[in-house]
Amino acid sequence: MKKLLWAVALLLLWPSYSYSEEVYGSTNNAAQTGLNWVMTNILPEFAGLEVNGLVYQYTAVKDPETDMIVYVQNEYADGNGYIFRNADDWSGLPGNTINKAFVFPNLSAELWGPGSIEVDGEGSVVDPSVIYTYKYDTCFDPQADPSCPGYEEPVVVPEIEIYDPLQDDLVLEQLEQKAQLDQEEEEEDRKRRQRENAIQNALENLLSDGGNPGLIDPVAEALALALTSKVLPTTYYGTIEGGEYLESLVLDGGDIQDNRKARRSNLAQQLLHQQMVNSQYELNQQETK
Amino acid sequence: MMNFKLVVPLATSLLATGAHANTEIIGNVDSKCIIVSETPGVYGNPNPYQLTTAPTSGGVKPIIRYDVLVADYYKAVIDHPIEFSSAPSLDDVVNWTGDVTVSEVSDTNMSDYDTNKVEYNNSHEYELTVSGSTWFTVSSTADYGSTKSFPAGTYTAVVEAECIPL
Repeated sequence: MKKLLWAVALLLLWPSYSYSEEVYGSTNNAAQTGLNWVMTNILPEFAGLEVNGLVYQYTAVKDPETDMIVYVQNEYADGNGYIFRNADDWSGLPGNTINKAFVFPNLSAELWGPGSIEVDGEGSVVDPSVIYTYKYDTCFDPQADPSCPGYEEPVVVPEIEIYDPLQDDLVLEQLEQKAQLDQEEEEEDRKRRQRENAIQNALENLLSDGGNPGLIDPVAEALALALTSKVLPTTYYGTIEGGEYLESLVLDGGDIQDNRKARRSNLAQQLLHQQMVNSQYELNQQETK
Repeated sequence: MMNFKLVVPLATSLLATGAHANTEIIGNVDSKCIIVSETPGVYGNPNPYQLTTAPTSGGVKPIIRYDVLVADYYKAVIDHPIEFSSAPSLDDVVNWTGDVTVSEVSDTNMSDYDTNKVEYNNSHEYELTVSGSTWFTVSSTADYGSTKSFPAGTYTAVVEAECIPL
């Protein structure tokens, strides 16, 4: 007996001892404050909660001669129709207190949209009561409790200091310098392009047709020349003296002798060439015969 | 040897002529009309000569629920009390009044049960034409003598509710 008690105690205290429990409950009166209600304010916030029933009651106040239909309903959370809708047709009947109960096949709380009691016709609804019954599993999320089956010890991730180079003063300084250099380079490029354009324009003006009225005008021509002389190198517009440049260098005649190595090489090649020519010649002679 | 021959056919004959069997057929009928006493009543004593279930006088009206699984096969007969089932000794007349009303329904078509009910003596008879649950509330008042005080003690009265097959 003692051994058995020890075993039970050990089982209860064992760290891996785990259990899950289904909890059943019911909500407060959803229609307590009015004929419209929001389910997120009615159902408790438990993971995996499912609605398995509904009980409603109200008193219809009406003239027995009049028509009246009362709808007790819940829309789908996505607004696509009704997840629950029941109509009580009181048309031609005296009013009374009605009490109805419904059972649902465990419909997830996420499916349930806004609820309401809607009156169509002449009459009114008093003392409404709408109560939902629900259930949930305490271990729907195994990580919710270390005692849940399937619980896994969370891995402790060491805190890593994240180096942000954009917060480093030296890097920032370098980036700033580079940006400045880039800017300078860009400015230089811009100036160079401007200069090249000016040169191109000046050249176009200079080489343009003499019939250009802008150049025929002496003043305009002088201005153009002045501009040209300002932006073009002098070689572009300077006068080149004409005439003939005679050859002033005189080479003495004579043979340039090969050195010994070259001579040997030339001789060897010459000999081979001669032998080849001779052999061809001899071959031709024989064929002729 | 001869005896044996006689005996055997005789025995056979006896077996053949005496063979018969009785087979039972058992059928269980579950009630399709269930009566549940949901709320027990309480008499209030607003005046020395009066006992009443009126909530405004400290009383509680008893509520009886009828669960009918099949429509049109039953009628409910509810009698409000006209005598005490237990009480101190009384030497004067008790005047009884009472009523039965449909206080709650599970189907809108039951809401005209009160309109169609039949009353006689202290009985209230309802045809249960719709399946579902119907709640009946009973009220009861007992006045002693003309205005004579009830003797001290405990008073008990009984509401009779029946479900009668049609």
